Order: sequence, then C-alpha cells, then structure tokens
Amino acid sequence: MKLKSIRLIKKYFWQLGIALAILASITIYAIAPALTQQPVVLNLLMTAPDAQPWQQGIVKDFETKYPGIRINVIEGPNATNLLEDLYTSAFILGDSPYDLVNMDVIWTPKFAAAGWLKDLSNEFSAEELAVFSPNDIEGSRYEGKLYRVPIRSDAGVLYYRQDLLTTAGYQPPETFDELLQISQALQRKNKDTWGYLWQGRQYEGLVAMFVEVLEGYGGFWVNPTTKDVGLDQPETIQAIEFLRNTVKTGVSPPGVTTYQEEETRRIFQSGKAIFLRSWPYVWPLANEESSPIKGKIGIKPMVSAPGKSAGTCLGGWGLGIAKSSPHQKEAMTAIRYFTSNEAQRNFILKAGYVPSRRELFNDAEIVAKYSYYPQLLNIVGSSVLRPAIAQYAQASDILQRYLSAALTNSLTPEQAMKAAAKETRLLLGKK
Amino acid sequence: MTKIDTIRRREQNTAWIMLLPALLLLLLVFAYPIARAFWLSLFTQNLGTKLQPEFSGLNNYVRMAGDGRFWQSFLTTSIFTTTSVVLELLLGMGIAIVLNQRFLGRSLVRTSAILPWALPTALIGLAWAWIFNDQFGVANDLLLRLGLIKTGINWLGEPNLARIAVIFADVWKTTPFISILLLAGLQSISPDLYEAHSIDGATSWQSFRQITLPLLMPQILIASLFRFAQAFGVFDLIAVMTNGGPGGATEVVSLYIYSTVMRYLDFGYGAALVVVTFLLLVVMVAIASFLLSKSRTTKGMA
Repeated sequence: MKLKSIRLIKKYFWQLGIALAILASITIYAIAPALTQQPVVLNLLMTAPDAQPWQQGIVKDFETKYPGIRINVIEGPNATNLLEDLYTSAFILGDSPYDLVNMDVIWTPKFAAAGWLKDLSNEFSAEELAVFSPNDIEGSRYEGKLYRVPIRSDAGVLYYRQDLLTTAGYQPPETFDELLQISQALQRKNKDTWGYLWQGRQYEGLVAMFVEVLEGYGGFWVNPTTKDVGLDQPETIQAIEFLRNTVKTGVSPPGVTTYQEEETRRIFQSGKAIFLRSWPYVWPLANEESSPIKGKIGIKPMVSAPGKSAGTCLGGWGLGIAKSSPHQKEAMTAIRYFTSNEAQRNFILKAGYVPSRRELFNDAEIVAKYSYYPQLLNIVGSSVLRPAIAQYAQASDILQRYLSAALTNSLTPEQAMKAAAKETRLLLGKK
Repeated sequence: MTKIDTIRRREQNTAWIMLLPALLLLLLVFAYPIARAFWLSLFTQNLGTKLQPEFSGLNNYVRMAGDGRFWQSFLTTSIFTTTSVVLELLLGMGIAIVLNQRFLGRSLVRTSAILPWALPTALIGLAWAWIFNDQFGVANDLLLRLGLIKTGINWLGEPNLARIAVIFADVWKTTPFISILLLAGLQSISPDLYEAHSIDGATSWQSFRQITLPLLMPQILIASLFRFAQAFGVFDLIAVMTNGGPGGATEVVSLYIYSTVMRYLDFGYGAALVVVTFLLLVVMVAIASFLLSKSRTTKGMA
C-alpha cells in the first residue's frame, strides 16, 4: 500500500508541480495587481522636441492629481510627417500601442475616416466646446462628429517691420496691392532688403500659405461637403499670379520657391525683409536679446483683395482617443485635464505654446509674459481650414506639385491648375 | 511500342508528382500575390470608402492614365535604371579586367572592392546625403578647395543635380556587384585562347572584342538583368537620400506606390499601380531579351 502511494505521488509529481506553478502565476499576474492597484498606463506618441516640455510640465501635474493613471510619453521623430507615418503604420497593423493620439489638424479627417478614432461627440457638451476657438473645433470634426479636442492653436501670421513702416508713414497693409506697393517703396529706401517672404518649396507649408492667398481672393480649394473643386476657377489663377508677381517685381527673392519656414525666418530676423508670412513661433525668436529686429515688429492677419475676407491658415494640435485602446475612461480623464483651463494655463506659462482656449489669450498672467497673445486671438479667429476630407494628404500632394510647377514657371498657372483640378476631381470621385 | 509509351507516360506521371510540391510552393509565393494584386486593383478601397472594398471595375486604371505623377515617376525610374545600369556595366567591366591581372596585393584589393556592395544601402544613402549636403558636404568642400566653384552647390535641392547625385551613389554602391560577377566570368576564360590569338597577330583590343566580350556575354546578360530588376525597384537609397524630392524630381515608382498605400491608404489604386508597373517591367525585359537573342543569332549566322 505504502509503496503504491509513493509510486502514485512519483507518477503525478510533475503534473502536481505544473498545476501549482500555474496557480501561483495566476495569483501573481491577475489577483495581485488588483490588490496593489497598479496604475493604468496611457501611451502617447509625440515629436521629440514636444516630449520634453510635456513630460516635465503638464504630464507631471496630471500624475500628481491622478495617481492611478500614468502617462507614458513616447518620443517620436522630429518631423511631423514622419510622426503621422508612425501613427498610421501602428493603426494599420491593428491594435495600436497608443491610447491617446496627438494629432495635427490635417490628420484628423484621415484618422477618423479610417475608423481609428473614438467618436467624442457625446462626451462634450456645446458649452464645453464653446470655450475653444470655433475654427479649432471645426477642424476637429469629420462628417459632423468630434474626434479630437484642441490643445494647441496655430495660425498663419503676417509679420511686418513696425519701425520701417512708421518712419515712412505707412499703415500696415490690408490688401495684396498695398503689400506690394509698400514693399517696393520701402525697398527703394532700404537697400539690400527684400519686401515679402513666403514659403514656396514643394511641401505642406506651401499649401498652408496658399490657402490664405486663395481665401484673400475669394477662391476655394475643395468644398468638404459637396466635394467641389475650385482650383481651375479664375480666383485661383489670380492668387498664383500674385505670388508670381512678388518674385517678378523683385519684392520676394527668386529663391523663395525653395524656402521653408526656417529659411524665411532667418532672412527676416537678420533684418533683411519687411514682411514675412509665417507662424506664431517666429515672435519669441525674433524678439530674443540677440535679434537685430527685437521690438521692431508687429503682427496682423493675412491681407486680402479689396472687399474680400482675409484668411489665415489654421494649424494646431489636438488630442483624440484610439478606438482600440483598452483604457477609454482613463484616456477621457486625461484629455479633460489636458484641455482644462488650469492645466493649459500652467503649461503655456512654462512652455510658451499658443493656447486653444480663447479666455487664455487675454489672461493677465499670460499676457504679462506674452504680450502679443491678444492680437493672436484676433488672427486665430479669422482663420481658414484646409479642406477636411479623408483624402487630404493626396489632394495636398497634387496641389503642391502643380502649384510648385506654376511658381517655378515650368507650367503656366492655367495649365497647372487645370491639371490639378482634374486629378483632384478624379481622386474625389467627381467626374 | 505501346509498352514504351506506357513506361514513358508512367515516368512522366512520376515526374509531375515529384514536381508537385515545388509547383505548389511557387504558386503560393508567386502566383497568389500577383493574382491578389490584380484582384485588389479592380476595387476602390481607400479613405473615401472608409477602407471598405467597393468593386469599381477598371476605374483605377482610367485614373492612372490621367495621373501625371505616376508617369513622371515611371520616367524617372526608367532614366535612373538605364543610366545607372549602363554606367555600372562599363565601370564594372573595367574594374573586373584590372582585378583579373596579376599584381601585388591583388586579393586585398579584390576584397576591398566588394565593400560598398556589402554595406547596408540605408547607411550608404545617409552617407551620400551628407557628402552632397550643400552646407557641410565633402563634395562641395572638395570642389571649393580645388577652386572649381565659388559658392556651394545645392546638390540635393536642384532637380537635375539631385538626379545625378542619386545615380552617382547607386553606381558607387553596385558597381562592385557587377565587377565580381564579371571577374568570375573572366577567370573561366582559358588563357590559351589569348595566347593563340596573339600569336595570330591580334592586338589586345581585338582579343578583348573577339574573345573576352563574346565569352563573357552570359555573365554580362545575367548581371544586367539582375541589376535592371533591382534598380527598377530602388527604394531605400532614394528614400534616405532625397525621399523623392526636390519637388518629386527623384520620385521613383516604388516611392510613389509606398506613398499611395502607406500615406494615402489608397489600397485599390496602389494595387493597380503595382500591376501596371509589373506588366511594363515584364514587357521591357521581354523586349530586351528578344533583341539580345536576335543579335546573338544574327552574329552566329554571320
């Protein structure tokens, strides 16, 4: 009997051991965390230069307030288009490793149309959304539904040399013609000075700059609801002719068709230009101690043709939630906190971003530090959106290619825009 | 007679059965993806359709006919391929002939000559992008020091210069591949032939044309076919060096297809692009091999 039982134990020894091991691991991996309250980790990918201020500022504040949630900020590439590619491939592969999605305004329709984002329409009431700039909210919608909450605004700004304009007795220009005239008049007085700088290289910035001129002439690119294409309309040709004229009349340097933001800023900051179309990031740099134009510049919205409304291109970032994220509730808590008045206020005072909440542009403490924000509110208010269509990236590439061809004289504006309109219509399924 | 027939048939059957696994494997890894691409190209599956496939017949192909960017990239790819393969063949041949001579340290030189080909292309692309950088690149530095130019050239910022730069980098990278293949061919040619030819009073140019070239033809053909197919699908080198810029001047077909699928999520149209490129490539290879075999037979007849 005894021998038999020993033999039995021997026989089942391994099975018993395995069963015990499984039981133990279940306890360790499933039950123990529930007892010790492991914090939920939310993954958030952003460009490397943004990651640092986020980690040290807004994320730290959030984690002290909500100890149950950790934000894991993942540093992505510096270039935003590479960041978009990284998000895209993660989503195509299925379960996204990211819970929160930090989105540029132009990605929203694509990500939403692909079905990667949670619909936030029912999470926020109209009053809650009213505190943001209406354009920012409009840019966060796709087919009427809300997919992101704006956290950081950005809009095209026309910089001008206040000192040069004042001494010559000019008011800042309101129309395209005035911009050219003032430039030429001041260029005659100030040798080695360019009149107007804009971004003419073939890239997304070209399109952002162009929608402003297009709006100023009363034209349109793509109507997001009807999918009508306005590229072969006379207003578009006028807009291109204006840009070509800036080079022809010597107001803009011939190399302007190869410039991105930084090239134009360097020329402007060295005091060698009167007007610059760029983004808000130029202001603090141009007003640095070492800058030759410190305290000599002013900002205003883009100019327009007489009787037409001026438009500045809206950029900016917002947060959405990945549909595949298992932590929807926690992600919502994080978004609510990040877009709240208190969090944004602290973050802006530390990192100098442009706020998405309108009341912060006129906040006393913020204005004390960034005196130009009240004017910026005015500019953000008059902004135009790039069309919120799912195939935006493709439509933008078509326009960039033909616009660049027209600006570098390899095609006439009419030929270029006819071809661009045709390709865009084919893309959008419009015959 | 009938008995031999049955035996032959039985042997044939056995042969088919033995071949079947290999054939199935080939079908699975070659025919299936190609057929699948054909099938997918008949659908519109993009962000406009919320990534759901919708049958649209030949719509994608109609769109492609009017797609200036595709034809531009096809032209760019053809120019890139032809120029670099021709240059590589000429240079590779020269290097192979030099490496075939006896000289001190030959094996060392042979080993180092293959080095560019053995390095990862993405790294090479990065290195060449730095070499051609307009501000701190070695290329401009050399030209400036030699006094050939006054101000730095924006190599990768000018359409034609950028095309030259990527071809240059590709030639540097893959010439060793061709020279090693040709060297193997050269070594299989018996020295007796050259000896006999020179006794007949032939110059070295004559023996190159009448012995080396004809006997090396198989290696030349294989090398150029390999390189042709490889250069036509070039991706990494250009993606790293210019990413298709400036203004799409160096955008090759594979980069455009990558954008279409990965950036635009236009899967149906991307498949159609793959199909058309594939067919055009097949046609080009067929024409090339037809011309080659024709030139060989006429030569044989003469």
